[in-house]
Amino acid sequence: MISLHQVNKKYETPAGVFAALRDVDAEIRAGEFVGVVGKSGSGKSTLLNMIAGIDRPSSGTVTVAGTTIHTLPENKLAAWRGRNVGFVFQFFQLLPTLTAVENVMLPMDFCKTFPARERRKRAEELLERVGVGPQADKLPATLSGGEQQRVAIARSLANEPPLVIADEPTGNLDSVTAHDILDLFRNLANFGTTVVIATHEPGIVRVSDRKIEITDGEVLR
Amino acid sequence: MTTPWRKAMRDFWHERARTILVILAIALGIAAFAAVMSSYAILTRELDRGYLDTNPASAVLRVDSIDDELVAAVLQNPEVSNAEPRRTISGQIKSGPMQWRNLMLFVVKDYGDIRVNKLEPEKGAWPPAPGEILIERDAFQVVRAHIGDAVTVKTANGVEQPLVISGRVHDVGQAQARMENIVYAYTNLDTLVQLGEKPYYDRLNILVAENRFDEDHIRRVAADVKSLIESRGHEVWRVDVPPPGKHPHSDLMGMLLLAMSSFGLFVLVLSGILVVNLLTAMMASQVRQIGVMKAIGGTRTAIARIYFSQALFLGVAAVIVALPLGLIGSRALCQYMAVFLNFNIYSFAVPVWVYLLVAVVGIAAPLAAAAYPVWKGSGAPVRVALADFGLAQTTFGVSRFDRALTGLGGSFRPLLLAIRNSFRRRARLVLTLATLAAGGLFFLSALNVRSSMINTLDRMFATRKFDLTVNLREMYDNEKLLQAVGETPGIRRAEGWLTTESSLGNERFGVVALPADTQLLEPEIIEGRGLLPSDTDAIVVNNALAGRLAEMRVGKTLTLSIDNLEKSWRVVGLAREAFSPSVGYVPLNAIQQQSPKMVNSLRLSLDRPDEDSIAAVKTSLDRNLEQQGMRARSSTSKADTRFGFDQHMVMIYVFLIVMSAIIGVVGGLGLMTTMSLNVLERRREMGVLRAIGATPRIVWLMVIAEGLVIGVLSWAIAALLAWPVSKFVGDSLVSMMFRSGLDFTFEPLGLVIWLLVSIALSAVASFVPAWRASRATVREALAYE
Repeated sequence: MISLHQVNKKYETPAGVFAALRDVDAEIRAGEFVGVVGKSGSGKSTLLNMIAGIDRPSSGTVTVAGTTIHTLPENKLAAWRGRNVGFVFQFFQLLPTLTAVENVMLPMDFCKTFPARERRKRAEELLERVGVGPQADKLPATLSGGEQQRVAIARSLANEPPLVIADEPTGNLDSVTAHDILDLFRNLANFGTTVVIATHEPGIVRVSDRKIEITDGEVLR
Repeated sequence: MTTPWRKAMRDFWHERARTILVILAIALGIAAFAAVMSSYAILTRELDRGYLDTNPASAVLRVDSIDDELVAAVLQNPEVSNAEPRRTISGQIKSGPMQWRNLMLFVVKDYGDIRVNKLEPEKGAWPPAPGEILIERDAFQVVRAHIGDAVTVKTANGVEQPLVISGRVHDVGQAQARMENIVYAYTNLDTLVQLGEKPYYDRLNILVAENRFDEDHIRRVAADVKSLIESRGHEVWRVDVPPPGKHPHSDLMGMLLLAMSSFGLFVLVLSGILVVNLLTAMMASQVRQIGVMKAIGGTRTAIARIYFSQALFLGVAAVIVALPLGLIGSRALCQYMAVFLNFNIYSFAVPVWVYLLVAVVGIAAPLAAAAYPVWKGSGAPVRVALADFGLAQTTFGVSRFDRALTGLGGSFRPLLLAIRNSFRRRARLVLTLATLAAGGLFFLSALNVRSSMINTLDRMFATRKFDLTVNLREMYDNEKLLQAVGETPGIRRAEGWLTTESSLGNERFGVVALPADTQLLEPEIIEGRGLLPSDTDAIVVNNALAGRLAEMRVGKTLTLSIDNLEKSWRVVGLAREAFSPSVGYVPLNAIQQQSPKMVNSLRLSLDRPDEDSIAAVKTSLDRNLEQQGMRARSSTSKADTRFGFDQHMVMIYVFLIVMSAIIGVVGGLGLMTTMSLNVLERRREMGVLRAIGATPRIVWLMVIAEGLVIGVLSWAIAALLAWPVSKFVGDSLVSMMFRSGLDFTFEPLGLVIWLLVSIALSAVASFVPAWRASRATVREALAYE
């Protein structure tokens, strides 16, 4: 499903060149639930960005679902991402002027994956599935953190992507809510979606199939 | 409605106050544009329609006398569809204690059946009974009398005849009486006899049957008519062919409207700048949202479309607001122009193409303005967009300019902060300054153009050393005239001049023959030399004449027929005379060979050139001339002439002032938008300021100070550019409208006035943003994202 080969990522900073990833090799199979763990600044987010096509490697290859994504131009990449990757952020990142259900419909509008008439119904079903069906018509500002993250997860599933990537999805939530959110991801994986989560959360061991540990940009074997 | 479109609309609703400001600013630009375009459509249509409805004469022949037989003979020519005799006689009119005013009296043959140069009765009697006159509607302001009033009229024969104003007419083809400072009156042959004149007609107005707008054709027909009249033993003195189908003022109006429409476009561009500012700020604050949308599959095009749809909304909303405003504006403008040019507007209907043009321009302008910020903003790579924290991401302190700013002295830190803050969003500052400075430039230009026009007129009038011009009924002996002048008290110096006409090709121009040693005219010679007493074939031309006829160049020799004397003339000099018709100056002795010592005009320099003294001199001189058997036809004082010029100038001045007011408002709206964006983006900083002890008052003052810094800066820019820009504006307006140059002067008072206006404008524009900033509580401000 996902294959990283000799991936390096270097950033030019005023203080010199900073290597965020060094010679990373990794394989993730379809339907696997993988936790990426490591300290702040260890390179977790960069690794996730590589897989999601948000960032490009300085060298090496990234193949996701048969596509060598680092070679796609920006616009094609956005369209590919819309159909193949669901992204969940630490700070939820719902669009503040759209209601919950509209936030979920947005990826479908962008990628035109479902007929326009079915989009709302599908979005409501997804909200129902993640447990925030009654909040469908509320604006993000009126939802709690846990509710916002559930909406964000529903949004990541909008186009039925085979892969869901989440960067610290529980970093901004209390432990009870975090527990519920992790269960939700486990549930997704049980239905065949590949899930990759970067997290500090100790509970990840409980729900994930395996973990990839990363330190100073290098994957520990 | 798709979700992206919904997002576009809700984002606007979220920022509704600012959105409304920008819509208003764009609407103002579109309204100005719409007003000018619809005025253009209405005025050109109505002016020419109203004019053509009067059946304006294709040609006017001046004949010694015209009777019914002659008219019937002319009408035998199938190329002539109508021919009508008239008499035009100049004289003077006086109402009550007012002084004499110049009068142009038209004698109409049959008021029941006017077929050429039609008059429109408006009020009172029609036709005038013997002993009555009708007055042109605009001339009532010159004669200062009402229908029913008794007036005294005299022609050059000097008989003072009391007549009654019995009605008001509208004569579309006549120039505005107020501008010309002349009274147009209409009467019949009986009244003419009462005035002591012989009852005959001297002008034949003809209308060609076909090709009414073909000037060559009209000239051919007029030539045929001329030879027919001559073959019947009459004398034809002159044939005039006015530009066919065109109101005498339609060119002037076209120029005015052209100036206005370029102004309309300019305002539109300025309001476009506001769109750039608003959308740049919006894109900056939405970087993170853009990143999120990209992460969930939005392509650059899809995201750009959201923001373009906002620009589209701005345009559509502005057009909806602007159209009615523009129509109201165009009505006011048309009415003003109609009064100015003395014609009626029968329909204010605006053609469809104007609506379409306004809609297209109004919608396209914000889209064009949005193009750069939207495309740039939507191009941010996902990673950069997500890493952005939305607020306070400017890197103040990096450039040399910023460090120079920190060197600015002063110990009141809040003020320092305000000054530095104004420079944080550099592009926005530049655009805001540009709109504000544009308003200032127009204002300063208005004042400078006004004072330059006054200066130009002063200089022109300074070359004329005479206070009073008296046109005589016919040629009189100069010696006899000067004798009559000598008996008149209050005259310092008098010269007899001869004014006549000549032509080269179809161009007719004035010829003034004056003593070569004249002391009453000191023309400003800009090339060659002035006239010398020894000259016999020298002509000095003014710039208007040189501009119209390429042959009139210093050093050229040409053959001219002046006063029935054909001889060759040498152009020796070019004189600069602003705002003057084409005139050539020749030595009096060079054309007096046929009629020695005969002149037809007196130029007088008076001891005291005030209105009462002039009136006293006129009365006394008339009497003394009459005792010698001579008569004056009309007289014009320098002040009268000057008044006419000033009337034309006021129009340009008012136009510029109105423009600067509109641009000032757009600039104010722009500053308001900028300040509210500045405050919005710095809410967090405001919170910090409050947390470290700033009172709401200080925060309020700081924001106002920031606005003032921008206002004063814009003033400085306007002040720096005012000189070249006003010179350019003045020169182009005046050369467009009068084919003349301007003696430029700078009005320093304008700088002071505009500084005060800038300060007031920026204080008002930053008032609301400052108030909102000062109201934010610490917690609110720090929590704000």
